[in-house]
Amino acid sequence: MKKLLAMVLVLVMVLAVGCQSTPKVAPVTTEPTQPAAPVEKVTVKFAVQADSTDALNQLVKAYNDSSDKYQVEAVVMTNDSGNMHDQLINSLSSKSGEYDVISMDVVWAGEFAAAGYLEPIDTLIKDNGWLPTDFNAGSMASGKYKGKNYVLPYFSDLGFLFFRKDILSAEDAKKLEEGGYTWAELLKMAEGYMGQKGTKYGHVYQSKQYEGLTCNLNEFTANWSDIKGGLETMAKFVKSKATPEDILAYTEGETHNAFLNGEAVFARNWPYMNGMAASGEYNVKAEQVGFAPLPTGSTVGGWILGVNANSTKMDGAKDFLSFIAGPKGQKINATVGSYMPGFNALLADSDVLAANALLTNTGFQNALKATIARPVVANYSEVSDVIQIKAHEFLSGNGKLEDAVKAIEEKLK
Amino acid sequence: MSKILKFFDRHLAYVMIIPAIILILLFSILPILESTRYAFFDFQLNDQKKSGIYMTSNYNMPLSDETFEYIDYYLEIEAATVQKADTIQYINRMRDDIKGYQLNLKSILGSQTGVVETSRENIQVIQAINKDIKFAIDLLYSMDDVFYSEEDMQAVASELETCIIESNFIGLDNFKQILSDPRVIYTLSITLIFTFISVFCELLLGLALALIMNKAMKGRGLIRTFSLIPWAIPTSVAALMWSYLYNGSSGIVATAFSNIGLIGQPTELLLTAKAALGSIIMADVWKTTPYMALLILAGLQVIPNALYESSSLDGANKIMQFRHITLPLLKPSILVALLFRTLDAFRVFDLIWVLTGGGPGGTTESISVYAYKVMFAQTRFGYGSAMVLIMAIAVGMISYAYIKILDVKLIGE
Repeated sequence: MKKLLAMVLVLVMVLAVGCQSTPKVAPVTTEPTQPAAPVEKVTVKFAVQADSTDALNQLVKAYNDSSDKYQVEAVVMTNDSGNMHDQLINSLSSKSGEYDVISMDVVWAGEFAAAGYLEPIDTLIKDNGWLPTDFNAGSMASGKYKGKNYVLPYFSDLGFLFFRKDILSAEDAKKLEEGGYTWAELLKMAEGYMGQKGTKYGHVYQSKQYEGLTCNLNEFTANWSDIKGGLETMAKFVKSKATPEDILAYTEGETHNAFLNGEAVFARNWPYMNGMAASGEYNVKAEQVGFAPLPTGSTVGGWILGVNANSTKMDGAKDFLSFIAGPKGQKINATVGSYMPGFNALLADSDVLAANALLTNTGFQNALKATIARPVVANYSEVSDVIQIKAHEFLSGNGKLEDAVKAIEEKLK
Repeated sequence: MSKILKFFDRHLAYVMIIPAIILILLFSILPILESTRYAFFDFQLNDQKKSGIYMTSNYNMPLSDETFEYIDYYLEIEAATVQKADTIQYINRMRDDIKGYQLNLKSILGSQTGVVETSRENIQVIQAINKDIKFAIDLLYSMDDVFYSEEDMQAVASELETCIIESNFIGLDNFKQILSDPRVIYTLSITLIFTFISVFCELLLGLALALIMNKAMKGRGLIRTFSLIPWAIPTSVAALMWSYLYNGSSGIVATAFSNIGLIGQPTELLLTAKAALGSIIMADVWKTTPYMALLILAGLQVIPNALYESSSLDGANKIMQFRHITLPLLKPSILVALLFRTLDAFRVFDLIWVLTGGGPGGTTESISVYAYKVMFAQTRFGYGSAMVLIMAIAVGMISYAYIKILDVKLIGE
């Protein structure tokens, strides 16, 4: 028995050694010789947030098909804009040329430009035969720092008023769409219509302590021209029975849930909520929704494009930027992704209008005419942070109005 | 050779720990030294004058080139739109002059590129040049003609000042500023309140839990396993779970608290300063009590049973045994547990970040959350580093106090 075992062991060992010593013949790979490309294309990297539509893919594909010098690679970053900001800062502050073209939230441009991370693009605008006024004014204003333009719009976004067409009287709806109303009138309407057709709330908007509160306060204070009055109005909204008890914890998510589930008559939100209504998956359908400008202007959101000042492929980066922000790229973005084009001439383009029903609506058009930007300053996140904290402190009854006004005014100086 | 061997022989212990020392130096000491260095500079990324560590005077060459280019660009635009021949002549002369100034500048600084180190005298010469340019621009706009780009031109020209980089060494100013920053004082006190209350509750509950877990009874293994579950859940996940429970409109804990009269409205839980802090403490106690219990349980198990037996022969009851045997012998374990937990709680970040984001109105912001905002969202590295250093000192003081108060010798004589 033992002998047998020993023999088996020896056999196993011999086999094992034998296997190991077998010369390994590298498999001969017969790669099909591809027809060599005439010139090696230079790769341009585009740092961009994830796109839930197919627009980004099509944009990149259209560019790569049309360009014989450059090849664009989209580096899709996190969807959390705060994290994306920190990641970009990490890369840009080390003077790295990792990304050539950068997509940014509108509020970052001041900071990035002041830090010297972005390449000014006035010559690019001139060389293409454009004028800064050819682009969305709010987006351009967000990217103009110390007399230089640093960005072109990727897509613009703006906050405006949604209302239930099936609840409001035609007269009130018309008044709202024209925009000649005040915050007090809106609150009165919200209180009056609340409860009809199963609604629980009059008006919903964003006032949790986060960036959305800065956007909303920008509107309530008429672009910071009346901080005290704006805060007082906002406090009236919070106290009113027409807003939910926990309106101070509302973000976009709570807002669209309340409105699309048929719980609210009015809502202040971004255009994406219309897309949700149009999908037909919610209680409130597209035909029940009307749009109107806000009493004192609409905060501009959305994303803008800039070129990394330390890019090693400056020409390619500028070439791609001209494509994506110009009429061709913007048209793809607007028709495929239903984004709001940042190139103004496209607002009259029939294909764009067909893909984006919102653009033909009077109320929305009026909102588009009155856009306001958030402060363009180098230390934006610090400023916005103080605004959020002080406003929320006052609105939640933990702080005094005078302190909030003083602190915010000081920061905006 | 033999000398070296002899040395190795004699100091073998030291030789053996060399790799560990190298690792500690590289990954622990160096970063600490580096961030300590930052704390003495006004180092912030969103300002090109301060986005580095500068001990001497410097001049930002790329920004200077860009600025000169832009001044020329705007002069060209003005020349195209002004009405009078005099003005055009002045502008043309000015364009030549400014080119002359730029050449002059370059001759002073040599052919270097990037941020150039230079002497105080050169900086004074450059400041004189800047003054001349500013004067020429002011003169242009005082002329009686129609201009379109005055604001942009003045903004661009102000960048000439930004090119001059002075030393941003500020000594102890960051620390002085921190000690008088009301937000630091506030966040520090919030952190201390959070730390003391939560660690105190955890200690009491953890001790009780450990005593139960130490009892020989049926299903002991099961109890030990189940009680550890909260600790095994990642903090951010647990925080998210609690945020649903505390939610003002649908959270069961919030509803229960308002039903038994602890709070007036379910929404008050996360929207008033005290209730929100209490909620955070409750979530933390829930999560880390098992950890405390585990550490204390380890201490309980090394207490020899003979002590209890002999003391009961002497007529000691359970309470006396606990006071005179269990507690004194547990002291080292309790100290270690307290130390771990206090240091952990003092650095609390993720729980607050997810649960309240520092709200309402910044009232639950811990010092770690504030430091993170300063460092990464606002990129004020100098100020942030100083704040973190102060935190480290505070942690050191707390540890020292524990060791003194509990009077335990961690390392034997």
